[in-house]
Amino acid sequence: MGRQRFWGRSLARSRKLRFLLAVVVIGLLPLAFTGSYWRTNLIVCAINVLLAIGLDFVLGYAGQLNLGQSAFFGIGAYASTLLVIKLGVPFWAAFALGTLGAGAAGALLSIFAVRLRGHYLAIASLGFAVITYQVLLNWISLTQGPLGIYAIAPPPTIALRWLGRIPFTDLANLFYLTAGLTLVVYVLLDRMLRSPIGETLTAIREDEISAASLGINASRWKVFAFAVSSAVAGAAGCFYAPFVGTLVPDAFFVTESFTILAMVIVGGTGTLIGPAVGAILLTLLPELLRSIGDLRLILYGASITLVVLFMPGGLMQAWRLLRSRLYLGAEVP
Amino acid sequence: MTCLLATTGLDITYGKVFACRDISIDVAEGEIVTLIGANGAGKSTTLRAIAGVIKPRSGVILFEGRDITALPSHERNRLGIALVPEGRHVFPHLTVRENLELGGFKYRKDHVRVRRLVEAMFATFTRLRERAGQKAGTLSGGEQQMLVLGRAMMSEPRLLCLDEPSLGLAPLVVRDIFRTIGSINAGGTSVLLVEQNARYALKTASRGYVLQTGSITASGPCALLRADIRVQEAYLGRRTSDGIINNVRPKSE
Amino acid sequence: MTGIVLQQGINGIVIGSLYVLVALGLTLIYGVLVQINFAHADIVTLGAFTAYAVTHFLGQSYFAGIAVALAVGAVLGWLVNATIFSPLRDRGNELLPLIATIGVSIMLQNAMLALLGPIPYAFETPYSNLVIRYGGLFLTVQNVLIVVVSSVSIALLYGFMKFTFLGKALRAVAQDRETAGLMGINPNHLIMLTFVIASALAGMGGALLGPVLVLTPFAGTSVIVKAFAIVIIGGFGNIEGTILAGLLVGLIESFTTQFLDPGLIDIVVFALLLLTLAVRPTGLVAEKREENV
Repeated sequence: MGRQRFWGRSLARSRKLRFLLAVVVIGLLPLAFTGSYWRTNLIVCAINVLLAIGLDFVLGYAGQLNLGQSAFFGIGAYASTLLVIKLGVPFWAAFALGTLGAGAAGALLSIFAVRLRGHYLAIASLGFAVITYQVLLNWISLTQGPLGIYAIAPPPTIALRWLGRIPFTDLANLFYLTAGLTLVVYVLLDRMLRSPIGETLTAIREDEISAASLGINASRWKVFAFAVSSAVAGAAGCFYAPFVGTLVPDAFFVTESFTILAMVIVGGTGTLIGPAVGAILLTLLPELLRSIGDLRLILYGASITLVVLFMPGGLMQAWRLLRSRLYLGAEVP
Repeated sequence: MTCLLATTGLDITYGKVFACRDISIDVAEGEIVTLIGANGAGKSTTLRAIAGVIKPRSGVILFEGRDITALPSHERNRLGIALVPEGRHVFPHLTVRENLELGGFKYRKDHVRVRRLVEAMFATFTRLRERAGQKAGTLSGGEQQMLVLGRAMMSEPRLLCLDEPSLGLAPLVVRDIFRTIGSINAGGTSVLLVEQNARYALKTASRGYVLQTGSITASGPCALLRADIRVQEAYLGRRTSDGIINNVRPKSE
Repeated sequence: MTGIVLQQGINGIVIGSLYVLVALGLTLIYGVLVQINFAHADIVTLGAFTAYAVTHFLGQSYFAGIAVALAVGAVLGWLVNATIFSPLRDRGNELLPLIATIGVSIMLQNAMLALLGPIPYAFETPYSNLVIRYGGLFLTVQNVLIVVVSSVSIALLYGFMKFTFLGKALRAVAQDRETAGLMGINPNHLIMLTFVIASALAGMGGALLGPVLVLTPFAGTSVIVKAFAIVIIGGFGNIEGTILAGLLVGLIESFTTQFLDPGLIDIVVFALLLLTLAVRPTGLVAEKREENV
């Protein structure tokens, strides 16, 4: 996705071309990175991008701080896995149910707090994240607690007439699936945001009172945005479980919410591409700079604070500034 | 008479929208000056800029010869400007006495002085003394207006700014308020009064400015303004040719 | 049975008064600025480690440790306001300072983790092992110290807010910042003062908490959700409410530990929080105040 910046304004203007380029890049990546280490990283990247754009939908567009992404991520993961293992539900049905379940949980949670100031929802979602972790940890009969659920099967092999059998034990195939899902969700969210829905959300974010005077029921839309955001996180969870093979509660500790927040903030709220960039950057950078492994979280924290203080629009803002300096008098897209 | 307050060419905007253009008014020592005009004409905005609550986009404000345009409101209070804001704005969860004490914040190191001033306010506003321990939010509108008037006087200001003191008050209460304003002025405090009730304003003040959609359209001694037909028709309610009396409602602009 | 109930009641008040110390800071800041310092709980943790360092490495008395922790908290509060809340005042989204302080919290926690490691520190004071027995009841002197110091601090704070000029000015700024400015009160100074007081209380709370809780760099996180819950249940900006709610949560904690399961504490508190939001967002326990909801 980085190559397009050097191809001039004409390409940047065309969304369809960008989409095609993304598909091409996704298609080529596993061919460029053949080792399982890097392919694993690519899959993690895809999942993080999914989580990040989900969070930005509610934070950057509706202006609500959802600190509970780790919980919805976990709910999706555990719900879908348990449905498959304990009830024998087919994978894709479990995926749908897990996603819906996470979304429903998000809707329920936000109903309590959306008529109030943003701080309340932030705290309630944080509390929810802590509680969910505790439940996952302590409800041993359901989740097997800290021991975790292991030997989770990857998604079932797809047999397509023109492509043959596609096993998902192959990391490359799994990456295509995950990245494909991420791309689909990205496009869906993008369309939603370019429709009147996006304008409504932006109106609510900018000035709730004026929006109300236009007949917009802000609370209902905030719940909607929150539910979408939770559903996306749940979907990511549904894919995370079979990818990683073992589910432990520790993967869904509150810190996850902060990590995703860092990706969104660093990338730049208020766009969808920003969090995607932020997710990719913050996932791959620590891998590239192995020596900073222990300092990873400190850097995440510092990046959040510094970006908010000095460049609140994140990397996207920096990019826009740079571009306006390079192409003086260029049009603003 | 020395000039106490003078504004020159004040432009005040909310974002990009001009609320006031080229406002130049002055208040001399000992005067009562009034700003009258319809709702939204920019009177309150002008007053708030003078008190330091909003920053003008351009223009100069001089107080006692000193440029205060960049000073925040709390510093202007220390210099001797006190504003009684529109809607009264008592501190609702503090008692009447505490509200008054806070008005004298600039004397906080001198407890004796503050106490003396509070006593003086109670002497002037006797109803407040009865309610000294009550939470200010529970007072009636008229009592709250008295309270914020007393609170403003606690800082012994040279210039007292009043933003729509009659708003939402019964006629008898309004009469009392204006009587009090008069005696405050008699005590040596200059007054800048913004009022929608043009009748009382022009009766109490010695000089006035008329604001229409952000600009000054007329000014002069109140006697002359009272006699001005345009002012009469727009703000004072005079029998128009078809015999309809409209009171304090301006003609549509 | 009554013995157990009384014992847990005492335990609940002890831990509750600590929670009050921590939550008071949060509620003070929210009352005056309508903002949340997410790093507040990490100031508590730092206070605990500071007191530990003063007593175990510098060999000073426990009271010296408490005093230094208080000072460290005050300095941190000053820093956070000066670098984050002041510059971001009235700029854009009101949630920005909260997000920025999330970053600070992450930095502080992980810096402490890097320096101090994840293994709990045993913070012993000369008072943790002195036990008082009365009837069937059991109390360490440390517990008594906690309650005494907390109560004195809260009383002092209360007196400050109610009887001094600055305290009243602070309440005025919380109720109507613009009008307070008209009185000659500099809101920025008072906001800074609030931060310093709030964070000093947090630091001191940490020093008192250290011997009682599991002392790791994550000690703050265990407290923060409860502290937030207390502030919401008691009503943001409402001091009496925070005190009541803090004691209530302390009692919930001790009784839940005794009669149910310690793992359920957070869930019960969280349920109470949701209840508050659903039924009475201005605060469940004290008088209704319509501010800033």
